[in-house]
This record gives sequence, C-alpha cells and structure tokens, in this order.
Amino acid sequence: MAETKAEQPRLTLASSDGEDIPVDKDVAERSVLIKNMVSDLGEEAMTEAIPIPNVNAAVLKKVIEWCTHHRADPPAPTDDDSDSRKKTTDIEEWDQKFMQVDQEMLFEIILAANYLDIKQLLDVGCKTVANMIKGKSPEEIRKTFNIQNDFTPEEEDQIRRENEWAEDR
Amino acid sequence: MAPVAASNPANRGRDNLESTWAYLEENVEKVMTKLREGVDMKTYMGVYTRVHNFCTSQKPTTTSPAGAAHSASRGAHLLGQEIYDKLGEYLSKHLAEVNARADTHTDEALLSFYIREWKRYTDAAKYNNHLFKYLNRHWVKREMDEGKKNIYDIYTLHLVKWKDDFFQKVQERVMQAVLKLVEKQRNGETIEQLQVKAIVDSFVSLGLDENDPTKSTLDVYRRYFEAPFLTATKDYYQRESKLFVAENSVVEYMKKAEARLDEEKERVGLYLHPDIMKKLMDVCNEALITDHSLLLRDEFQVLLDNERVDDLTRMYKLLSRIKDGLDPLRNRFEAHVRKAGLASVDKVASSGDNFEPKVYIDALLDIHSKYQQLVTVAFTGESEFVRSLDNACKEFVNRNEVCKSNSSRSPELLAKYTDQLLKKGAKAADESELEDLLLQIMVVFKYIEDKDVFQKFYSRMLAKRLVNVSSVSDDAETSMISKLKEACGFEYTNKLQRMFQDIQVSKDLNSAYKDWYDKVMEDSSKKRTIDSTYQILGTSFWPLNPPNSPFSPPTEVNEAIDAFKRFYDGKHTGRKLTWLWQLCKGEVRANYVKQGKVPYTFMVSTYQMAVLLLFNEQETLDYADIKEYTQLSDDILDTAVMGVFQKARVVTATPEGGKPEAGTKYTLNRGFKNKKLKVNLNVPIKSEQKTESDETHKTVEEDRKLLLQAVIVRIMKGRKKLRHVQLVEEVITQVKNRFPPKVSDIKKNIDILMEKDYIERLDNDELAYIA
Repeated sequence: MAETKAEQPRLTLASSDGEDIPVDKDVAERSVLIKNMVSDLGEEAMTEAIPIPNVNAAVLKKVIEWCTHHRADPPAPTDDDSDSRKKTTDIEEWDQKFMQVDQEMLFEIILAANYLDIKQLLDVGCKTVANMIKGKSPEEIRKTFNIQNDFTPEEEDQIRRENEWAEDR
Repeated sequence: MAPVAASNPANRGRDNLESTWAYLEENVEKVMTKLREGVDMKTYMGVYTRVHNFCTSQKPTTTSPAGAAHSASRGAHLLGQEIYDKLGEYLSKHLAEVNARADTHTDEALLSFYIREWKRYTDAAKYNNHLFKYLNRHWVKREMDEGKKNIYDIYTLHLVKWKDDFFQKVQERVMQAVLKLVEKQRNGETIEQLQVKAIVDSFVSLGLDENDPTKSTLDVYRRYFEAPFLTATKDYYQRESKLFVAENSVVEYMKKAEARLDEEKERVGLYLHPDIMKKLMDVCNEALITDHSLLLRDEFQVLLDNERVDDLTRMYKLLSRIKDGLDPLRNRFEAHVRKAGLASVDKVASSGDNFEPKVYIDALLDIHSKYQQLVTVAFTGESEFVRSLDNACKEFVNRNEVCKSNSSRSPELLAKYTDQLLKKGAKAADESELEDLLLQIMVVFKYIEDKDVFQKFYSRMLAKRLVNVSSVSDDAETSMISKLKEACGFEYTNKLQRMFQDIQVSKDLNSAYKDWYDKVMEDSSKKRTIDSTYQILGTSFWPLNPPNSPFSPPTEVNEAIDAFKRFYDGKHTGRKLTWLWQLCKGEVRANYVKQGKVPYTFMVSTYQMAVLLLFNEQETLDYADIKEYTQLSDDILDTAVMGVFQKARVVTATPEGGKPEAGTKYTLNRGFKNKKLKVNLNVPIKSEQKTESDETHKTVEEDRKLLLQAVIVRIMKGRKKLRHVQLVEEVITQVKNRFPPKVSDIKKNIDILMEKDYIERLDNDELAYIA
C-alpha cells in the first residue's frame, strides 16, 4: 500500500492569484470538474498546472485540506433527496472543526465547492450556514450576517402574514 | 431584491451574453470539428469557467415584469436559458451543414458517412456535456424538476438535435442502403456487417423517453429500422420461396427453408438488436412456412410411405414453428399407422386361422415399435404425436381382420402368447430376454380394450401352469403379475395372486402331511402304496370346474386320499374337498415289459392310471369291464384313455383296430418299445382346447353382466339417488378400464336390478337405492 501511495500521480493546481499547488491525483479528483477533465483530456496531458481561475490560493488550500481528509470517502450518493443529506445537524466532528472559519472564508469555500463540483463539501458548507440560521429571529439573522433590512414595514407585514403557518406556537 | 439599477442592466447583460457566447461558440466549434487534435487544459477550464461565471452573474439579463413576477414565485432565478438556446441554435446550424454533405453520398458511402459523423458528433457531445456541466447541474436540473418539456441535459440535447435536424432527413436513404447491403448478404455476398451494427446502435441511441430522459426506449429503432427491415425480409423470402418451389422438390425446399431460418437467427446475433428476434422469426416463418404449408403437408404422406425419417424430422421442425402447423400431420399420421397396423394383421389372417399367437402379437408390435421410433426420432417424442400413435394402435389392436368375428380375439391371443412364454420348455429365453418380451406384452396390453377377457384367459392358463408345475420360473410369474397390477390395480390381479399363494401353502402342507403320515401310520399294517402330493386350491380364486365325468378311483388311490382326508380334516374342520380328477396325474412303472434292465415309466393321467392298474389283475380286458370298473364317461374313456393307449401300442385291441365298444378286448402289450424310458401318455386332445376357449368366451359375457350389476349397486349404495343418465355415465367411467361397456347392456342390468328390488324408479326420472 505504501508503495502505491508513493507512486500516486500528482497534479498541480494553479490558483487565481498565481500560486502552484501540487496535490495527489485522487485528492484533486474529489472535484468532479477535475476528474472529468483528467479523463477527457487524458492523464498524459496534465503536464502543466491546471488553471483554477475562480479560486485564490488561500481558499484552494483550504479546499485541498478538506479533500485530503476525505480522499477515501465513498462517492456521494447520486440520489439528491436521500435523508442523510437533508439533516442539517448531521455534520461530522472533523468537518465542524474544519468549518470554524470566519464568515468570508466560509462563503468562499461554498462558492469554490460549487464551482469545482465537490458535492459533499458543498453540503457541509451549506449545512453549516443553515445551522447558523436555525432558531434565530429575522433580526438576529440580519445581525449574524450583517444584512441591512431593506423591507418597508408594509412589505414586512405581508411576508409575516404569508408565513404565519410556519411560526412556532 | 430591490432593483438597483445604476447602469442599464439589460445592456450589460446582453454584452455579457454576447461576449460569453462568442468565446463558447469558438471553442465548441473546435470540439465539434477538431476534437482529434485535442483540447488543451486552458480551453477546457476556460469554457467551464465561462459557463459557470455566466450562470452565477448577479442579475437576470432580460427582465420583463411578467417574467420577474413569475421568477419571484418560484424562488431564486437561475441563469442559463440563453446559453442553452444558443447552443441549440449552433447545433442546428452545424447539422444543416452535415446534412448538406450527406446529400453527396449514396448507398454504402452514405452509410460510412453517417457512421463517421455519428461517431464524431457523439464524442463531441460527451465532451460538451462535461464542459457545460454547470448548466446541467443547475439551470437544466431546475427546469426539469419543474416538469418543463423539451429541456434536456446537454448530451441528450445533442441527440435530440441530431434526430430532428439530421436523422429525420436522412434516415430513409440510410435504411435503403442498409437493406441493399443485407440483401446482398442474403444473396451470398460478403458485406461489412459492422456497418449495419453501427447503424442499429445509432438508431437505438436515439430512442429517448419523453417522460423520463434518463431512460431510453426502442421506439425510434422500431419505427425506422425494424419495421422496414421486416417488410424487406418478408418480401425477399416470399419472392425467393415462390421461385424455389417452382423449380425444386418439396424436400429440397425444406432444406432451403431450414437453412434460411438458421441464417436469419444467426444474423440477429451478428449485427441486429436482440429485440427483433421474435418478430423476425415470425416474418420468416410466415413467408417460408405458413405460405407453403399446404404444399408441405401434401408431401407428408409421401415421406411416411417412403420412411424418409430425416425429411420427416425436417418437416416436423418446420411446421412446429407455425401456429396449428402440426394438427393435420397428426391426423394423417394416425390414419397412416392405423392402416399399416391393419395391413400387418391382414397378412397374418390371410394364411388361415391357425397362426401362432406369437405371429399375431409380433405383427402388432412391429407396427407399434416402428412408429414409436419414428415419433421419438422425427417428432421429438412430442406428446400429441404419442397420443395419435396410441389412438391408432388402440384402433388396430381391437378392431382388425382377426377380431372381425369376435372382438375378444386380441386379448385371447395375447394371453396365449404370454402363456407360451411363461411355460416351461418354450424356446429357452434367458431372464432378461424374457423380461423384455413381457414388457412388450404390456405394450399390447395397454391398447387392449377387453382387459377382462385377457384376465379370464390369463388366469386359466396360470392355473394350468401352477397345477402342472410348468411355469418357467416363479420370478417371471411374479414379474408379470406385478406388471398387470401396476397397469390395472389390485383388484385385477387379486385372484392371480391368491392362486400363487395357494401353491406356496400347498407345498408346506405336503411336507407336514408326510411327517404326520410317518407318525400315524408307523404301527399301521397299511403301508403306503403310492407316493402322493396334493394341492389345495381355493374354489373362489381358481377358474377350475369339477370333473365332467363320473369316476371311480382305483383302490390304491382311494387309500391314499382317505389318509390325506384324515390329516386335512384334523387340521381344518368343515372344509369340503372336491377332487379334480381331470387335473390329476401320476407315473407308473411298467415292470411287465421284458425288454431292457430298466423298466419304462409311463406318465399318465389318473384316468389312464385307473385303467392301467386293472391290467394288474388280468392280462386281457373287455371294454365293458373297463367301463364298469372306472365309471368314466364315453368321450373320455374312448379317446383320452383307450385311444391314446392303442395309438402308443401300450395295449392291442382284438379284433385288430376294433372300435371302443362292448365286445372289443384289450390285451397288455408286453413287447412295448419306445426310444425314451419315460413315456408321456398324458397328452391333451386338440378338440378339448377349442371347447375350452369357447367356454371362456361364453363366461366372459356372464361375468360382465355380474360386474355391471355389482358396479351399479356399489354406485347406488353410495349415492342413494341418481338420475338414470348420470348412473350410466358413472358406470362407464368405472368399468372402461376393464372393457368398453355398451349402454344397452348397462340399461338391461339396471332393469334386472329393479326387478330384483335392489333399486327403484322415482317419479322424477331418478333412481333410488333400496336398503
């Protein structure tokens, strides 16, 4: 096993801000985008750094960290509506810790996961945000995410009435 | 989502779209036309990123008030429609060019072109599907989740465009080329089979399920490939078979058809879709077989007459492929076998009435085994043909020239033949050979309708074999009885088995008697004068009659049977012994003959013995005296005793050649000579056998009457009340495995039972049992 790991082919990813980051192929292929490209173009075409024009080095490294940890995970279930995906509280410990970053970084990771097509990472990111919203009042949510209230009082009233059914009693 | 409109968003959006699409089109064109040259990483990532960035750009590019309201109601608005539409337009334009180039090709060149373009196009489609993956994941997915029709993932979009913008325009010409190619192959030329296979695969790929784009259907393939293919096949074979039949024999045609069918079946495996198999076979069957089935069937009789097994096999195989193809053959086969069977029997009957039972049974068996083999080999032992064979055999076994006057001749002859096989001294067949012959007898037995007649004859002959100890072996007897039991049940063989038991019991009884005799008679002055053994046979099981002549046994015999009676009465009380003199026999030693050292031994019947013993007292006897002493009836004394003696020169008559009547004197022949030391004088008389057989036939009628009455009473006792018609039906089902009853006989016996007050007629045409 150790030997095959040593011979694991490596790819280089070039971040948007011009940093080359070498990475094991199986780690990089947690991204369906990269996986498809390697198979479409052929491994032998991977002679230079793969440009990742939408992700900067800091975020890319963070994503690679996640991919490295999850390199051996089974592929994501194709069924979109499977229950495990819907349970927001269900985040494993390592991922929770991994997501303890400032809000800006958190959103950057989510965008990158969406762009690179890493479904499980995207899920973890969205779940983290969902947990941040859960149980909070609109005012608290605005505070948390630093959102300005741009509704007029009439609009707010209407929305409240429309969503009355969802209120806790 | 307040509209924040610093600059004109519509303009900015259009700029964005136009620049994005310009970049995408250039690279999609490269993928489409120059994929083989390879796509570099930068382009790959570039296209993907541009699609991504376009779809994630902040504002919708076109916002009509209606559209805004609509998008608000379904949540976040996703971008992508414009790119999707642009790509669709591009593909239509691209395919129009492909179509224009296709017009310059025909036939095989067109096929090559289609296949080459299909390969290039689908390869590119797979690429584009990845490059536009972001569109698939978001915009397309959302549209499809909302149930929008005519939105596909990018790969499927390629296929839909191909189908609408190219395939529809070219498919007819492509199919013509395919059919031309296949026809060439059917004509014996070698073709590029893989071309056809590639076309099939392409047509199948275009079958998209409108309701579920992840699934495919065979609709396109069925409509545009299968249907014309089947029509062409049918035309081809109708044409070919018509020409072939006109110029060749039916046998040759069958070979041709068989080869063609194999060929078509193979063709499916080589390059067609397996889905076509059944339909293709149906079409071929119709053109090659159904259309010519009358012709084939007409040949059937010819093939049967000439015993062409291979051709019959071929015909069976061909006609078995079509619906109801074999029924007419079965009918003809049945008629043919019946005719053959009757002819075979006619041949036996033509040589007069005195044929051996074996000859007759063999004549039946020959036909059966010949056609059974044909059924097995040519008709694969198919059950319907087996039934036709059975029907035919039943017919000629029970109704033929020999049975013409008396339908129970077949069972009689079968029983006689069985007797010959089971009797000692027949051509010594070894055990396994005998078993085979018995099995063959059971073959004929199966077809016999009057099974009760067989039973009757069989039991009489078995009785004789047992009484005369002339069975070839107990094993063979047991084997035959168990076969009959298997075929007809316990009741059928019950009496036969009891007869067998009586003989076994009698053996033990005789040894017990010997011990008893030695003990009791030890002191007695009356020493045993003759050695004697006895068989005690149960009256109700044995088909034996009391003697039909009075008889006064000689003293020596009387003493012996008196002693046995004492012994037997001591063992069982209240049993009446009837002596069946006509079946008894013994051996006497002719000490009076001077010649040779060892005296002759005569094997004689008890009647003969009684007469011979008289000569111990007197050298010469008058016929009247013999009659007086023995009390025997004339017919027995004249032929079976004196006639035989005279013929064997045991006695001489005075006057010479004198008739057996009072006044004729018989003198013992002291100068008797014979080649053998043991002389059998106990020979059956021909006329005796004949009358016996007639008698048996007569008793059959009587027994049937009793059986019918017994069955009627049994049914009525169980049902209490029954309609007349139902009773008759019930009787027929219960009796038919013994003999085929006549309805008139059943009615007659019902009447008899009514007279005897077993049953009565009720008002409503019902019969009732009187308890």
